[in-house]
Amino acid sequence: MSALPLMAVAWLAPLAATVVALATIPPLVALYFLRLRRTKRVISSTLLWTRATQDLRANAPFQRLRFSLLLLLQLLALLLVIIAIAQPQLDLGETHAARVVLLVDASGSMGATDCADGSTRLSVAKRLATERVQSLHSGGLFSGVAPAVMVIAFAKDAQVACPFTDNAAQAIDAIAAIQATDETTALVDAFELARAFTTVTDPDNAQPIAAEPPAYELFSDGRVGDLARVVLRTGERVIFHTIGSATTQNVGIAGLAAARNPDRPDEVQIFARVVNWNTTQYAGDLEVRVDGQLRAVTPKPVEVPAAQEDAKSGVRLAGETQVVFPSIQLPQGGVVEVGVTTKDALITDDRASVVAAPPHALHIAVVGRGTFVLKSLLEGMSLAALDLFTVDEWDRRVASDAQAPDSYDVIVLDDVMPASLERGRYLIFRAPPVAAGVAAYGEKSNASVRSLRDEHPLLQYVNLDDLFVSSMTAVAPGGDADVIVEASDGPLVLTVNRGALTLVYVTFDPMDSNWPFQRGFVNFCSNAIAWLAAGGNAVTDEPLAPGDVITTRLPKDARSPMIRTPDGEEIAIFGPPQSSLSYGPVRRSGVYRLQWKQSAEDRPARLLAYAVNMKTRIEGRCDAASDISFATERVAGVQGGGVAKSAAWPWLLLAAFALLIVEWWVWLRLV
Amino acid sequence: MSAHTPVGAANSQGRPEKIDDLIDSRLMARLDRLDVVSRKIFTGKIQGERRSRRRGQSVEFADFRNYSHGDDLRFVDWNIYARLDRLFLKLFLEEEDLSMVIALDLSQSMNGGSPNKFDYARRLAMALGYIGLVNNNRVSFFGFGGGKIERLTGLRGRRRTREMGSWLLDRTTVGDAGFSDGMRAIALGGQGRGVLLVLSDFLFPDGYEKGLAYVAGRGFDVYALQLLAPQEIDPARHGISGDLRLIDSETEAETEVTASTAVLAQYKAALEKYVGGLREFSVRRSISHQVVETSTDLDTLLLDYLRRRGLLA
Repeated sequence: MSALPLMAVAWLAPLAATVVALATIPPLVALYFLRLRRTKRVISSTLLWTRATQDLRANAPFQRLRFSLLLLLQLLALLLVIIAIAQPQLDLGETHAARVVLLVDASGSMGATDCADGSTRLSVAKRLATERVQSLHSGGLFSGVAPAVMVIAFAKDAQVACPFTDNAAQAIDAIAAIQATDETTALVDAFELARAFTTVTDPDNAQPIAAEPPAYELFSDGRVGDLARVVLRTGERVIFHTIGSATTQNVGIAGLAAARNPDRPDEVQIFARVVNWNTTQYAGDLEVRVDGQLRAVTPKPVEVPAAQEDAKSGVRLAGETQVVFPSIQLPQGGVVEVGVTTKDALITDDRASVVAAPPHALHIAVVGRGTFVLKSLLEGMSLAALDLFTVDEWDRRVASDAQAPDSYDVIVLDDVMPASLERGRYLIFRAPPVAAGVAAYGEKSNASVRSLRDEHPLLQYVNLDDLFVSSMTAVAPGGDADVIVEASDGPLVLTVNRGALTLVYVTFDPMDSNWPFQRGFVNFCSNAIAWLAAGGNAVTDEPLAPGDVITTRLPKDARSPMIRTPDGEEIAIFGPPQSSLSYGPVRRSGVYRLQWKQSAEDRPARLLAYAVNMKTRIEGRCDAASDISFATERVAGVQGGGVAKSAAWPWLLLAAFALLIVEWWVWLRLV
Repeated sequence: MSAHTPVGAANSQGRPEKIDDLIDSRLMARLDRLDVVSRKIFTGKIQGERRSRRRGQSVEFADFRNYSHGDDLRFVDWNIYARLDRLFLKLFLEEEDLSMVIALDLSQSMNGGSPNKFDYARRLAMALGYIGLVNNNRVSFFGFGGGKIERLTGLRGRRRTREMGSWLLDRTTVGDAGFSDGMRAIALGGQGRGVLLVLSDFLFPDGYEKGLAYVAGRGFDVYALQLLAPQEIDPARHGISGDLRLIDSETEAETEVTASTAVLAQYKAALEKYVGGLREFSVRRSISHQVVETSTDLDTLLLDYLRRRGLLA
């Protein structure tokens, strides 16, 4: 679209106006032809008048329409009403706000290729935003001073692509630089970010810089997860540019897991969950690829029920089906990819990956009492080694070899606390890890579970409803702690991730509870060991989602780490040698491969893979919204990338009403 | 005023209520000098002041004829007998009275215009009747309208003026004209032959031809005085404008008219055509036609127009 004209008019309902015009204007004019409104007058005889009009009618097939002020006024009023029905949207090439914030949606659903020219929604949004900047700076008779423009790209979080600027080129360059992501969509951060910029005060001036709120122009498909949390403040105005088609449908892989068979470690079982956002049932094949090689296809099409509207909330719920593939031989591990064979508008979620690590037996150290229950449980697992230490023995071992914690995948501390707790992965019972920022302040008794995060991997297949703890350590977790299970007197289970140190802390001795007698205790210990060992080649790596950060622990002699992104770009990570590495947040889905060299020449380079899958259960809905509803108000979308327009129909109706009053006055004067 | 009282109809204040309203003494004095002149010589019923086609005993010689047995010997022309030795009888024009019939249109269409056509017609009838009475003519009045004929006949002499005036004052307009029936009643009424003055607007939906043919064929010296209001002659100058639904006071028929320039011109053309048609019809049947606009002063009409037309002398 070229630069907008100075006074563009868009018609929202031209067809309705045409119908009304055809239905009303001819009858109105016909009424004047028919001359139905006449003044009655009794005369002696109509004989001569009848003859005169008969002659006139005989001479002319149609009577000439005489000028009538009433007809003129009525036609004008009718035309105004018809134009109002057409809902003209006037754009004078200006915005009343001194500042305009362009909010560009870069979330995963904006990658759908349902636009007219086959381009993605994001590219269309960027083009429209660019044109909007150009129109705001186009000048002209009806344009005042061009407003300052700010560009914010948002997905899971928001980023200022360009702060407020009067320079159109700068804003356009910032728009062009917006990168697509596969993240979910959240708008609250974007508004908060914009408000932070508009309410910042000048250090030299006590008054706020911008007393007037900015105008927001949202370029999005309208599928924003946190709209209900967005509260527009007084004076804030949002123009929603609808991007994408309202009929676009999508099928995606919502979940993928791969698990090795404990009895046959060479085999991997693959579980996939397919979601269907279509309004009709989906049937299609799924395929499994390992490191790009096709390994399996579903023997018959997988049927996924249609999405349903929730009767109460009106929210559309995707249809879901879980698929379990036959076990495949995977003795060396690899990247398992599952995909739907049919293509739709959003291809990002058509495939999901999971990293299946090679079978690896764990090395576990138990420090402390080594209670019978714990020891029996660990011995039941397929471990490469299970070493038992007293706390003194462990302290001496660490003192002699600082790398001792790295030689074990998980170290279990059974109510003891070693002198050093700097690195390694620990499962700790009862003794508070003060060195990890967990402060103990006493003992509590008779605790039961008040809340828990049952979605956490630690609690998979763990039921804590009947857990009763007779004695627990009351602790105050630090800022880097994540409470998993909480009692009324404090945390029961928490995790701490502090660089090279990762731990799972259970604040009570299982023997002081009824937990050892429950199946959940076994599952919890297994989960905890698997979770802690995940960074060190456990069974499978948990897939990440766009927006997450890749964090891993590197060997002490790791050198020249490098990340290869899904699109093949290799990114070297510079910095001093460190025990842990963080990269991200990752924006796109796919497989990220981390590679590093080890100082010892005889040791091969290590490679870790991380699968990042789009959250299609949240972001997969692709039918563009025609309007969006914030917490306080509803905003109708502007189709086709229309720019900020003001509805003219109220003024047109007002003018029509005024004309009718004038017409009534004229009629009174004439009659 | 009723719902169908035409615009310009006289109200109670402008309508004549007593004889003096019909004719005042000043006009009566001027009319005393006038007499009705007939272009024809009619047979009267009694001896009057007018020549009659009937041969009689006046002093005005008319003709000779052969004597036949039984003729009055007093009228034998003895001088011719002396010279020709044959008997001839002298014939004289007998002087008879003049029958003056005034036909007054009582149809509802007359109750319109400003000045009101009916009031004007009654004043004119009063004046003409007065002239007839003053000159010892036999004056009769016929009012036609509403499907009935109202008569006042056998008036003669000045002393019948009041009776004539009362009759005129009692007349009102009602219904349609019934012109043909009215004229036929006059033709068959046995009023004798004489001057017939028809005071009407001649705006009859059924036409005037049949009615006038009745009286034209009976030897009347017919004067058709067509009374038209100024609004009918020039409506544009007298308040006819805009989009109108015209209602006929007689038939209550409605005609929708937009008084545009074209329509007004067409109306004038229709009026001229209608009046011209009546005039041509009248000429063909020896009827004297005269359009009288009701705004014309009655003195001027009587003392000037009608004298020039030969009705009055």
